[in-house]
Amino acid sequence: MSTQLDDRTGVNLVPVSAAPRHTRAPGRFPWPWVAPALLVAALFTLGPLVVIVVFSFMSRPPQGGGVIYEFTLEPYVNFLFQTDFLGNTTFDPRYLSVFGDSLLQGAITTIVCLLLAFPIALWIATRPEKLQNVLVLLITIPFWTNLLVRTYAWMLILNDNGIVNSGLNLFGLPKLELLYTPMASQLGLIYTFLPFMVLPIYASLAGFDFRLAEAAYDLGARKSTVVRRIILPLATPGIVSGVLLVFMPAFGSYVQPVLLGGGKVLLIGNLIASQFGDSRNWPFGAALSVIILIVLMIALIAIALYSRKSGKKVEISL
Amino acid sequence: MTAPAPARTRPSDEPGGVAPAIRKPPRALRLHDFPGIAPVAVFGIIFLYVPILITTVYAFNDGDSALVWRGFSLRWFGEVAQNTNLLNALIVSLQIAVVATVVSTILSILFALSVEQLRAKGSGIATAILTAPLVIPEIVLAVATLGFIRMIGLQPGMLALMLAHTSFCIPFALMPVRARLKSLGSSYFEAATDLGASSWQMFRRITLPLLVPGIISGAVLAFVISLDDFIISNFLSASGATPLPVFLFSLIRRGASPAVNVIATLLLVLAIVVTTITFLQSQRRSKQHA
Repeated sequence: MSTQLDDRTGVNLVPVSAAPRHTRAPGRFPWPWVAPALLVAALFTLGPLVVIVVFSFMSRPPQGGGVIYEFTLEPYVNFLFQTDFLGNTTFDPRYLSVFGDSLLQGAITTIVCLLLAFPIALWIATRPEKLQNVLVLLITIPFWTNLLVRTYAWMLILNDNGIVNSGLNLFGLPKLELLYTPMASQLGLIYTFLPFMVLPIYASLAGFDFRLAEAAYDLGARKSTVVRRIILPLATPGIVSGVLLVFMPAFGSYVQPVLLGGGKVLLIGNLIASQFGDSRNWPFGAALSVIILIVLMIALIAIALYSRKSGKKVEISL
Repeated sequence: MTAPAPARTRPSDEPGGVAPAIRKPPRALRLHDFPGIAPVAVFGIIFLYVPILITTVYAFNDGDSALVWRGFSLRWFGEVAQNTNLLNALIVSLQIAVVATVVSTILSILFALSVEQLRAKGSGIATAILTAPLVIPEIVLAVATLGFIRMIGLQPGMLALMLAHTSFCIPFALMPVRARLKSLGSSYFEAATDLGASSWQMFRRITLPLLVPGIISGAVLAFVISLDDFIISNFLSASGATPLPVFLFSLIRRGASPAVNVIATLLLVLAIVVTTITFLQSQRRSKQHA
């Protein structure tokens, strides 16, 4: 505490020793205070994830839900093969195709959201400051609106007597089967996750220094070149973050395929739910969850590699 | 959103305020506009609003069906207000949200103030653990939590719901607090130390008051996230402990109805109120810092 010994002349007469390396920043708490939050997260985020991995190697009880603690690889074998009652094991592509459908719906959702979100984010970021704030508010309101509400809204639109079909009726056109189709589920996913893509991209473009664009124009760049060579690289961390925030929940979605896809759309999310619900095959449901977690791991590793290679820090936050 | 936005210069402003000597080529006149961007953006924003606005309009329908317009009335708002099952679900949701908000906010404040004391790697891992619920598909977390509480001998119900909600509310309560702390810099705290504040005085009189805007935004977000959560709640609810979204889902499964339109509208109003509050807060804050 050498500071207290300073005289008031502004000349420091006391040799100031170098600060010890591990002093706390003033106003901060010692590190053990991270424990309470970490404990809760460890118990209710990490704990369950460990349990689900363990469950995926366990056996089913003769009836009912839950697991018996006997190691087996059966749940993972079930994913690719089926065994009939004679004990013949044959390759079974049904679950693999559910996995493929989920990947596809997740990918389509991500691509469409990106194609819509990039222009939205760029347009907002290039408005005057006051308008920018209002527009960001407009994007965040749907973001904070209940997921069920946003999904239900499409049920009203696509219903047999919904807005679209009433409109067709007025023109004397036949009704279309819109609700309870893969198309409806896909549309619901795009609608639900669009704000998740806009916000991170906007965050990386906000405060864009237009002198950069000016310099490029002065050097004879065209608009498309400015977008490609200046704006896109700036937006990339936001795009990467947005892709993760949209792809993962869309890939593991449950509400949209159930409410908008009806019984016709089976994605890995509602398959998991049914294993823990009516089918009562917890180990298989757990194995499917582990498969989702593996996809998440791959995505996170890809992002880590990208930030290492490009030297850009990607923050996954909203 | 880390660095403060640089002062916007008008395209005609040259550094130093000297009038440009050379006239710019016409294509550079409208620097802020890129062809084809505006229509897509406007379409996107309209696309976000049309469905929820349609739902809102139909909430004021007088008819008995969700979709056949029979004139304007507030009738269904009255009907919904008298639905005891719905009110019970709302009370359950509010209880869970209050507990989850209070606990996750306190934990977030402690965490935000101490995480920087960990070495870089440690703080990265700690933050990753806390923010994991943002990227893990909710269905996985839901079934995993169900398995986990069974394993530790809990049953689905109020306690399980409160614990799980607290856990996934932490990232939302934490982010605004950390952002606020970052924007404050270290000068306030150094000044307080120099003036001889004890740790407790520092926390009571300096840190806590300065963090209030971040704490309020974080708490509000956590509250809404808890109130809106469906998937995890669905797996942890029990009879007598049915949160509002789980009740709403069971109504929706029976098909579109005027009652659902009304509940949807009320939830939309909640979202608008909350977002606007946090927005106005951040506006005030940026004015103070200007």
